[in-house]
Amino acid sequence: MEDINNSLSTEDSILVKKSKWLVMHLKKEWQLYLMLAPTIIWFIVFLYKPMYGLQIAFKDYSVFKGITSSPWVGLEHFYTLFDNDQFIRAIQNTVMISGASLIFGFPVPIILALMFNEIINPKFKRTAQTIVYLPHFISAVIIAGIVITAFAPSTGVINLMLNAMGYDSVYFLTKPEWFRTIFVGTGIWQEAGFGSIVFLAAVAGVNPSLYESAVVDGASRFQMMYKITLPCILPTILIMLIIRIGNILEVGFEMIIMLYQPATYETADVISTFIYRQGLQAAQYDLAAAAGLFNAVIAFLLVITANTISKRVSKTSLW
Amino acid sequence: MSTVKLKNLVKSYGDVTVVQGINLEVKAKEFVVLVGPSGCGKSTTLRMLAGLEEISGGEVSISDRVINDVAPKDRDVAMVFQNYALYPHLTVAENIAFGLRIRKVPKDEIRKIVADVAETLELTPLLERRPADLSGGQRQRVAMGRAIVRHPKVFLFDEPLSNLDAKLRTQMRAEIKQLHKRLGVTSVYVTHDQVEAMTLADRIVVMSAGKIEQVGTPMELFNSPANTFVATFIGSPPMNLIEATAEVSDAGCYALFEGQRCLLPTLSQLSDGEEIIIGIRPEYIEIEPVADATAIDVKIDLVETLGSEALLHCKFLDKPFVIKVETHGQLTHLENLNKLYFRQNAITVFDKKTTNAMIASDKK
Amino acid sequence: MSFKENMNLYSKGDKAFVYLNMFLVAMFTISTLYPFIYVASLSVSLGDAVTAGKVVLTPVDFTLAAYDKVLSDPAFWTSYANTFIYTIGGTIVSLLIIVPGAYALSRPQLAGRKYWNMMIAFTMWFNAGMIPFFLNMRDLGLLDSYIGIIIGFACNAFNIILLRNFFEAVPASFEEAARMDGANDFQVLWQVFIPLAKPALATITLFCIVARWNGFFWAMVLLRDESKVPLQVYLRQIITQLTDDDTFASTLITASYSYETVSSAIMICSIIPVLLIYPWVQKSFNKGIMLGGVKE
Ligand SMILES: Nc1ncnc2c1ncn2[C@@H]1O[C@H](COP(=O)(O)OP(=O)(O)O)[C@@H](O)[C@H]1O
Ligand SMILES: [Mg+2]
Repeated sequence: MEDINNSLSTEDSILVKKSKWLVMHLKKEWQLYLMLAPTIIWFIVFLYKPMYGLQIAFKDYSVFKGITSSPWVGLEHFYTLFDNDQFIRAIQNTVMISGASLIFGFPVPIILALMFNEIINPKFKRTAQTIVYLPHFISAVIIAGIVITAFAPSTGVINLMLNAMGYDSVYFLTKPEWFRTIFVGTGIWQEAGFGSIVFLAAVAGVNPSLYESAVVDGASRFQMMYKITLPCILPTILIMLIIRIGNILEVGFEMIIMLYQPATYETADVISTFIYRQGLQAAQYDLAAAAGLFNAVIAFLLVITANTISKRVSKTSLW
Repeated sequence: MSTVKLKNLVKSYGDVTVVQGINLEVKAKEFVVLVGPSGCGKSTTLRMLAGLEEISGGEVSISDRVINDVAPKDRDVAMVFQNYALYPHLTVAENIAFGLRIRKVPKDEIRKIVADVAETLELTPLLERRPADLSGGQRQRVAMGRAIVRHPKVFLFDEPLSNLDAKLRTQMRAEIKQLHKRLGVTSVYVTHDQVEAMTLADRIVVMSAGKIEQVGTPMELFNSPANTFVATFIGSPPMNLIEATAEVSDAGCYALFEGQRCLLPTLSQLSDGEEIIIGIRPEYIEIEPVADATAIDVKIDLVETLGSEALLHCKFLDKPFVIKVETHGQLTHLENLNKLYFRQNAITVFDKKTTNAMIASDKK
Repeated sequence: MSFKENMNLYSKGDKAFVYLNMFLVAMFTISTLYPFIYVASLSVSLGDAVTAGKVVLTPVDFTLAAYDKVLSDPAFWTSYANTFIYTIGGTIVSLLIIVPGAYALSRPQLAGRKYWNMMIAFTMWFNAGMIPFFLNMRDLGLLDSYIGIIIGFACNAFNIILLRNFFEAVPASFEEAARMDGANDFQVLWQVFIPLAKPALATITLFCIVARWNGFFWAMVLLRDESKVPLQVYLRQIITQLTDDDTFASTLITASYSYETVSSAIMICSIIPVLLIYPWVQKSFNKGIMLGGVKE
């Protein structure tokens, strides 16, 4: 009996001690918690509360009953999704478009960074950089507007050129076979310049004495670029590549929404545009939420994997 | 005037106790230096005193008021940081005035006080500059200015000179000393540099591994180190230590090592055959015979000249042994030296087991 | 690296390499610039000339008719004003939330700091997605409201982490010195950390401004009321209606302007403010972005 009492009282005293500490701590540092509060509240209200709402992926969601009272339906929406050719197509398109962006788009900023590094005239370099970074800061709507204008059948510059070369006009944006090329090309045009910043920073970190000793050894500029700069920024390249692969489900869907049309859904419809149409346009919230959950879980796993790998890579490759 | 008292002061991080019960009393107007190797807990002690670090155990009081739970700003202490912590976006004048402005001192008064402080520290022409445009010594002075402007009860310094080059350090050391003389504010100063400690301190506190090894005036530490740690930490080059065996007889106490026999001060607690360490300062070794000195055979391996002085390097029991002598402009006679003279009173005897000094050798 | 600047020391092959490289960079730069020039030229060309397919690079039959048309449309001005409201209001709210939050998260004395930070970072890896977010906004009654757009997108993990890393890198002694001088948390933040973090803050502010200026998807989804939509949504309506709906397009065709010139003119009107702040954007991300951004 006494033992129990003793242990209880020590437990109590630990609790008392802890709460005493907390009171003291809050008295001293309350300002800090006041500063933190808006951030935490914001994250809870706008990011964590929707996670609670994700349960409609397993429910027959009715607007009138609300999230909590709608009846459970288990995995029904997922079965529906995987029976849906459009959803399967959207997954395929997502991977295809992302993959193409990766394969064709990933090397460009690296090459650009290497090329910037070889420019001697600082004014020329600064001007060129200023210009190539710019498209990153232009909205998807405008970029899409430019694409639509430039590819317009009778007045767009692309078709005018084709006509001048003796070809007929092509209705590019209605042709499924052209969609990926246009989308990926636009993406590269918009982001390659800005993407080079990371690699330029890596290039700037290369020890200059490496170049100096190479000059003494009589290496040419191209050899230095190929044999010194490139290997030195390889860790950065590797990490960026891993990150990109981890984000493979992320497609610039704002741009797709702007550029695609029913005629091109065949190649253009990706998971997020599918969710947008099913959920926000057709109000099939539960089904779309299921698609979103599927997407989010896969993306989460990919990102975590990529992160783990990149941490390992960056640790071992840090000199 | 303010005193500082540390009573059984303890600091632990989780399971690691980095300050293990410090007891110290700093008298009013005293300049106390905490010195010890890097990581021994000096900064932690100072920061507990400043209120920047929570106290795990024990008591800190200033002017007999316990201040364990008093916020740093209400302790009325000012601190000079190692990196000065000058705000780069503020001018020198604004940096000095920062604390006054926070405390809502009226503008006119601030201007007057800052002008006074600037005058004291010879910063007047620099008041409108920013820290980035100052030299290391000037920045150091601004940091001091920021500390003295509030007329605190206690000054705390955490390695304030370690970012300066050697020459500037010597100069700033002198300035700090003078400033202390002029203002007479109780000061606690942390450094790992024993030279700084020796030159600045009224009293030195030698620390190692979170504990106090010895407290005393610079000369007390130099002449009567309490243990081998203090003996080797204070003084440059450090005290020479030789492991030896005691021989006690009616004829007196002797140390036996490498087949030599050296007369020791008479120590009652010494017993025959006891393992001891004898310590002798490089400066206190004679190269000419003198009274009460034992001649020791030696072979000099190397002579290092410092100009007026020279360091002679040799070995006893395969351990380096250094002698510091005056050259009188001559070196040749030193290289061929084969006898050293250890004066009886210049030798400190340490218990080999505890490494504590058996008794202070008589003051030189 | 003076050898790098001194071309005279270069071998023939190196010189050729340098010039070829310059040429290629110039080509890339021009191809980046060209679409903007093209759109600008369209916007100031005569409608007929555009319809006839004469505009390829420079304006043909210069006219500001398209701008007249755009600027005389009240819907354009409404949406333009809305964009300013969303951009300015949104940026201010973002900073009011992010700056104190990042400061608190950067302080070692914050209890459970690791867990708060994990809570923030987790949202970078996983989010509920479009539908639950939309339903949440609806349940909060934030559809069709200025407040919804301004508050609903005020924060993101990236900006907080960027700024938090910057604050963490400020030597502890800056805070300690200010505290000993009697400053409280708000004073430390306002008088010490914010001035010290100016480059990072500038970067985040500009990112916020650009994101707000350019944002269209959620504005399109959440706003039904035409009088509240921002410029990007208005522009999207014009552009998509042009492609979807021939009759609408035909209403825009006259001799002096065509739908191409009109939509180009709106695009230019939307780009100009971005161009105006772009010099600051560039300056700040050159030094700011790398400071906190890379170390996660
Ligand atoms: N926040 C901390 N957490 C854990 N250990 C610490 C912390 N701060 C300091 N220490 C440890 O405390 C010991 C004493 O540090 P310090 O007082 O800074 O030494 P110094 O004497 O060099 O000023 C060191 O071993 C250090 O590693
Ligand atoms: Mg220290």
